[in-house]
Amino acid sequence: MLSIFLWMNNVLTAIRRRAALLLVALLCWGVLPAVAAQQPPQEQPKKFDEYVPASQLPPTEQIPAVRLVVGAYSFVIVVVFLYMVSVARRLNTVQHEVARLEADVKRTGRS
Amino acid sequence: MPKWFQPAAIVCALMFAATPIVIANAPFQSTMGLVFKIFFYHMPSAWMFLLGGIVCGIASLRYLINGAARHDRTAFAAAELTVLFGLLTLVTGPLWARKTWGTWWVWDVRVTASLVSWMIAVAYLILRRYGGPGSEKLAAGLALFGMANVPFIYISVNYWRTIHPATSVVPTLPVSMGGPLWFCVASFLMLFILLFTMRVRLEEQRARLDAVYLSLDE
Amino acid sequence: MWLILRKDLTVEVRSGEVAYTTLFFAVSCVLIFAFALVRDGRAPEDGAAGLLWIAIAFAGTLALGRTFERERQSETLRALLMAPTARPAVYLGKLLGIVALLAGVEVILVPLVALLFNANALLEHPAWLAAILIAGTVGFASVGTLFAAMLIRARSRDVLLPVLLYPVIVPVMIAAVRGTAVLLQPEVDTQVAWFWLALLATFDVVFVTLALWTFEPVMTD
Repeated sequence: MLSIFLWMNNVLTAIRRRAALLLVALLCWGVLPAVAAQQPPQEQPKKFDEYVPASQLPPTEQIPAVRLVVGAYSFVIVVVFLYMVSVARRLNTVQHEVARLEADVKRTGRS
Repeated sequence: MPKWFQPAAIVCALMFAATPIVIANAPFQSTMGLVFKIFFYHMPSAWMFLLGGIVCGIASLRYLINGAARHDRTAFAAAELTVLFGLLTLVTGPLWARKTWGTWWVWDVRVTASLVSWMIAVAYLILRRYGGPGSEKLAAGLALFGMANVPFIYISVNYWRTIHPATSVVPTLPVSMGGPLWFCVASFLMLFILLFTMRVRLEEQRARLDAVYLSLDE
Repeated sequence: MWLILRKDLTVEVRSGEVAYTTLFFAVSCVLIFAFALVRDGRAPEDGAAGLLWIAIAFAGTLALGRTFERERQSETLRALLMAPTARPAVYLGKLLGIVALLAGVEVILVPLVALLFNANALLEHPAWLAAILIAGTVGFASVGTLFAAMLIRARSRDVLLPVLLYPVIVPVMIAAVRGTAVLLQPEVDTQVAWFWLALLATFDVVFVTLALWTFEPVMTD
């Protein structure tokens, strides 16, 4: 099973940067303009009790749904991917360490 | 890693790759339109977030009762997954809400309760990371309190107006939309199990490392 | 348990360290809120309830930290745990000590908040107010005492206590603030007040019980 993680690491180093950059770019395209385009609502009632459905908002307030959807999906995939990488890497380190130490113990144990 | 891990990982990856296709083929939801597609990722994430929280709570309880280390490992792994899926839920939610409710955040019951529960899970991780030796039991106590707190959080926040869709949304969805949803749920569940296995394995290896260090000292 | 309470009280009365510093801190908190939020001589409406409880929460965290710091330094906690008293009694003793301290602070704080934030209505229903204050303080202290005791031997304990404590006592804060805010209305809605009070009381019972049960396994290491 060590092999799968070594493989993952190599593949990662090779295409990781490009893939991650692409996904982050997608994410930025999806969400950041949406955040930037949001203007403070002018005559919105103060409390959240009476919300205005998005379709009735002035056109300046609306954000294309596509950006939100793409942003959401890419976020999920990026985060899950990063977490997987993190766990794999930590596991790798620990397993190397264990193997190294056990080899040491065997050597010193024998001599 | 157990034998089933590699094939399961491949299946899971394939399922996730298929989700956009499955979701795109789901019928268009009339009132919310395209942005409803976020729901297919948001809802399974929320369920996995809850699942992680429950697993962590139960494992912590068992750890406090009998002190077996494997319960602690389970609790730690589950807590990390809770934070992960909670993050996914809390980000996809507002992205969906911005379009449907016109606002990024609302203080309604489920949203606020999720936020607070997520913060308790994050506090668990902070405690494990920075609490120093002996923080396993403390974290277990925290997880237990967190779990016991959930009904109180719900009741206390309940006085705020609720505009989150009621739980009955799932049964009332047309059957053709139920299919993609359950497919996504299955993918997420598989992802959860895979990540959980990996994470527990990490904890086991760490424990083994500690044991080797200890034996070296002797 | 009474012995512990008496011991804490005697130490406190003699040195007064924790009590005075906590009280001063709470008062400074309220003053800072006043400077930050009062504009043109007018305070934000409904602000008084929330600010009162924020000040109590902050002061309480400080008090918890200081009380257990003292225990840690003189290693008395270990001695207490080894003593033949039942473990839960140690917890209860500490809890009552903290509640008493915070009650003292609140006695000063409530009139101060009422004065600074034009919330004289706070003082009109002393029975209700006292009930909510006690229930809320016990809720806060029940979880706080347990966590503070747990963290004595942990690293970074000073910053970890609020990190762990605040998310867990969110329901207490919500209920306490809402309950106090109800008292500020010109016409007090007793039903709503009862609801919040009942919720606080339930929380107190559940969490004190849970803490009593958890104290034993968590402190054995």
